[in-house]
Amino acid sequence: MMESGLEHSIFQPSDVLAHATPDVLATHLPPELLSKVLQASLASGSMTPDRVLETVTPDLLAKHLPHDVLWACIAAAAARSGVSTS
Amino acid sequence: MKAFFVDALTSALDLGIATPEDLLRHVTPDVLAANLPRPLWARLLTACVGASRVDAQLVVETLGVSNLCEHMPAAVIWSCVAEVGQRSLGDAATAAPAIVTRPAAKAAATPLSITSPPAPDPVKTPASPPPAVRGPSIPAPGTSSDTDEDRAPLRARTPTRQPFRATSTGIGRLANTTSSRRPQAQAPAPAPVTLDPTTERPVRRGETVVEAEVEVETPAREDWRNALAVEDEQLVDWSSSEETLTAAGDDPTFRKR
Repeated sequence: MMESGLEHSIFQPSDVLAHATPDVLATHLPPELLSKVLQASLASGSMTPDRVLETVTPDLLAKHLPHDVLWACIAAAAARSGVSTS
Repeated sequence: MKAFFVDALTSALDLGIATPEDLLRHVTPDVLAANLPRPLWARLLTACVGASRVDAQLVVETLGVSNLCEHMPAAVIWSCVAEVGQRSLGDAATAAPAIVTRPAAKAAATPLSITSPPAPDPVKTPASPPPAVRGPSIPAPGTSSDTDEDRAPLRARTPTRQPFRATSTGIGRLANTTSSRRPQAQAPAPAPVTLDPTTERPVRRGETVVEAEVEVETPAREDWRNALAVEDEQLVDWSSSEETLTAAGDDPTFRKR
């Protein structure tokens, strides 16, 4: 779902990081992933949501992050698009 | 140790001796991932996401030197400090550590080798005289009479104990026969005591002293002595013979009298 939503622009990487905050990432991502994120950011000189998701792919997000966080991201996108009634 | 690292790295960064890049060259993202607490990771990610530029300075400023020194392995921090030091000191830094570390262990050997050359010569020369010096210092056993007389004044302090020994144990006699004993017993007790036999009271050498003490200490007990006066006669009989004296010295009742 996360990969599909990003692929179809249902939500953007920034929307993902709005829910998968740095606190959430730091809490749930394994150290090696955190290291890769930092390495990529230092190498490129910036830490953008796109770059973060290039390292922490949707599969990894779904694997390590709590699903309620990911679902909140999806639900918010649905609400923005007017699909959801809430 | 950590405080030292904090001071060293902070001052190095402030003075421009070290750069954040130097620090992150050792404190790599992998090291951070392995050792940095999650709350600090969250702080770092938050800062990085909101920053226009992510670089070593941002990482160091966000985490802080103190946190890095607190959570990173000391070996990693030290490698950074060592690299900065070597770089700032140039060739001297590389040469100095090698000299400092090894000489530190050899330091003990170096001073010894330096001191040993002069020491042996003077030591050997006086080596022969020492025996002569020891003769006089040891003389007590060799020349007992000379040393005893010389040391007699020093023994003057002990006379207080002499009476006790003379009365109780009679060591004074033994001291006369064996000169090896130190002067204390010989000087005061024997000479006057042996000469007293004319009064047939040689044994009372010690008694004179003891009696004097008793009289001084117990002037108010004259009644007690009068009560013992009857027994004094018996004592006179005992004193006439040496055997009685020796027995009296061992007899506790005789002491009391």
